[in-house]
Amino acid sequence: MPIQAPRIRYTAIAQALHWIIAALIAVQFTLAWTADDLPLGMHKLALLARHKSFGMTVLMLAVLRLVWRLFNPAPPLPAGMTGIERFLARATHFAFYVLLFAMPLTGWLMSSAKNYSVSWFGLFTWPNLIGPNERSFQILKETHDLLSDVLFAIVILHVLAALKHHFWNKDDVLKRMLPFTNTE
Amino acid sequence: MKGFKTSRWTPVAAAGAALVLAALGDVEPAHAAPATYAADAAQSHLEFTGVQAGAEFKGVFHTFTAAIDFAPDALASSHFDVQIDMNSEDSMDKDRDKTIKSSDIFDVAHHPTAQYVTKSITKTASGYSAVGALTLRGVTKDVPIDFQFTPTADGAKLQGSAKLKRLDFGVGQGEWKSTESIGDAVKVTFSLLLKPKS
Repeated sequence: MPIQAPRIRYTAIAQALHWIIAALIAVQFTLAWTADDLPLGMHKLALLARHKSFGMTVLMLAVLRLVWRLFNPAPPLPAGMTGIERFLARATHFAFYVLLFAMPLTGWLMSSAKNYSVSWFGLFTWPNLIGPNERSFQILKETHDLLSDVLFAIVILHVLAALKHHFWNKDDVLKRMLPFTNTE
Repeated sequence: MKGFKTSRWTPVAAAGAALVLAALGDVEPAHAAPATYAADAAQSHLEFTGVQAGAEFKGVFHTFTAAIDFAPDALASSHFDVQIDMNSEDSMDKDRDKTIKSSDIFDVAHHPTAQYVTKSITKTASGYSAVGALTLRGVTKDVPIDFQFTPTADGAKLQGSAKLKRLDFGVGQGEWKSTESIGDAVKVTFSLLLKPKS
């Protein structure tokens, strides 16, 4: 690959993937929290069916995003960030990529273990990854729940960091991921 | 028929054929009776496939009995009687099984047994077809099945399937009447290893 001049902004594709996935994650948390409080019934099944369809959508978008990221490196971090800030930024972004795969995959695995196959909006059914097993289901559910807590925590950290960069440091870290804005 | 000498053998062959035909004509209608079998529980399977939240799921009935009287040449007197223990339903998820056995769906407390009894069996291009009365959750309705009958060394194999609508039998009351998340159509498949009944 030819060496490219570092970009100042994220590409339009990277921005689109970022915001679509962000919106889907917000929907996912809402659906999961609502369904968690319901007894096994039609309403719960409908909510979880949507949760699974959106989750598999996130997985497909995560593949696109990872491939795009590998060929289109992110803009460099602003000068003046301390070592710990740089480490935190990189660790958070790396964790997001891991979770974008780990959340849907553990969800898909736990559905397989419970013998509740995953449909994609009723259009087609994803194959079960493992056979039905009560014990595997419990472990995978706990993992999925734990990872969702980690995801929630780093979403908060990520949002706070973006706001801090924008309002405190007054740099272009937030703006370069925002469509319809200009960065100098 | 290379080397067949028409002039010499024709009368003999004709006489032989006539004898066989006479014997068949005489014996078959009067004496053909279906063989009586019972399904070997350990090697027989009864499975259903439903659609839940857009994806298929399978369940089995571990306990059922099948009394099968069948002979390909005696369809008129062939007859199936299958009794299914609804409590033996297993979809490999205990939460779902608990719901399926509850009063709104199978209501196993009041309807512990389902029964299928054939009314007629006919030959089809690819096997056989039967119409029978299925009693499920206290409702009796005709359900057709298609099946294959394959004789084995010490019995026979009976494999087939049926399609039914769960709501025809009231399987799904209250919120479960909705077909949005749980489809109305259910496929039933079976594979029975039949042993002669002694």
